[in-house]
Amino acid sequence: MKRFLTHPWLTIRVQIALGAIFVIAALPKIADPPSFAHMIYNYRLVPSSMINISALAMPWVELLAGLALILGVWKTAARNVVAIMLAVFIIAISINLFRDNAIDCGCFNVADRGKTHEQRIFDMKVDVFRDLGMLLMVGQLWWAGKREEDEQLSRNP
Amino acid sequence: MKRNTLVQTAALIGAGLVIAIVANAFASRDRKLAIVGTYPNALKVPAREVAPPPVQPVTAVPTTTTTSPPTATATTATQPTATAAITTVGLNPAAKTPAATTTTTTAPTPHAPQPTPPSEDHFLPHPDKPYVEIAFADVKTLHGRNVLFLDALRTSVYEQGHIAGARPYSVWESDIEDKVRKLFDERSDPRDQSLPIVIYCSGGDCEDSHMLAQKLWGIQFNNLYVYKDGFPDWQQHNAPIHTGANP
Repeated sequence: MKRFLTHPWLTIRVQIALGAIFVIAALPKIADPPSFAHMIYNYRLVPSSMINISALAMPWVELLAGLALILGVWKTAARNVVAIMLAVFIIAISINLFRDNAIDCGCFNVADRGKTHEQRIFDMKVDVFRDLGMLLMVGQLWWAGKREEDEQLSRNP
Repeated sequence: MKRNTLVQTAALIGAGLVIAIVANAFASRDRKLAIVGTYPNALKVPAREVAPPPVQPVTAVPTTTTTSPPTATATTATQPTATAAITTVGLNPAAKTPAATTTTTTAPTPHAPQPTPPSEDHFLPHPDKPYVEIAFADVKTLHGRNVLFLDALRTSVYEQGHIAGARPYSVWESDIEDKVRKLFDERSDPRDQSLPIVIYCSGGDCEDSHMLAQKLWGIQFNNLYVYKDGFPDWQQHNAPIHTGANP
């Protein structure tokens, strides 16, 4: 089982899939920063002065990290960035679930979809589980990377 | 974590930040963001609006046709002094808005038929409140009087359709401070600042109109009305609509 979960065949596919998800998620935000700023504002967690700069920078960081994973460049750094972002998203959505502040997560779509409170709360729960799933993918990459390092060390002590 | 990995992680984040700032500098007007925005209540969770319970039909009471007073809900606070406001036009008007002390009060609901005051009395300046929320009937009245209408929706949405005569004033676009400053220049006379202005967005939980009202109230406009049900309600009533970039 451990051998399968850390096999390069699986690792490369997880890496490309995770990279593609981040690239796809970044594009609508890059195309419409004001709408993404509105989404960030709706979280009610980011100070007023930080909303716009977050809305501008976050999608580009997502895009660069996604591209790095797809191309296999700076894999470890890209994996770290993705892990940090996923952790931030999970915490932010969870806080708002706890506060009963129903929001559109703005993860893949920055348009206001006119949902009801209940629909938004349900979607937020789905988003948390989806992000946890992606965090598991990051875990697989980390585990495979660690195994690769260990093997290299054992070959060249 | 290895030092090399840390440097690469920082480089990825730094590169994202630099590209973002450069891309924003070259972005079109409706896609551009001010690097530092001003959003009152950025950390304040909005109270959830709960729909009122259904009203039981009353059969014994004879019906009387009345027009409800315009003010349904008003937000009260203290308006900044004129001198302070004028010196900070467009810089950070919301910062001096006492949002933390803002309280919402609801005017008495007309359970019993009440005489309707003369329409001239409906829309008096209210310097103690940033805005007063009004419904379609009052919005229509003000529209008939050629009052200034401001559309707080995104410019792209404005161009698809807006209340006839309304100007685009999206609070999420980078030129909002310039537009607010221009409006202040247009209406620099205190008498002009007391003229009614109606602001709307998409109704429901849309707060853009309220944010814009707070900005304007912060620079001495003291007769602001927020169309609570917004543009969808205007459309439902088949009221006049314009499309395109011009009011």
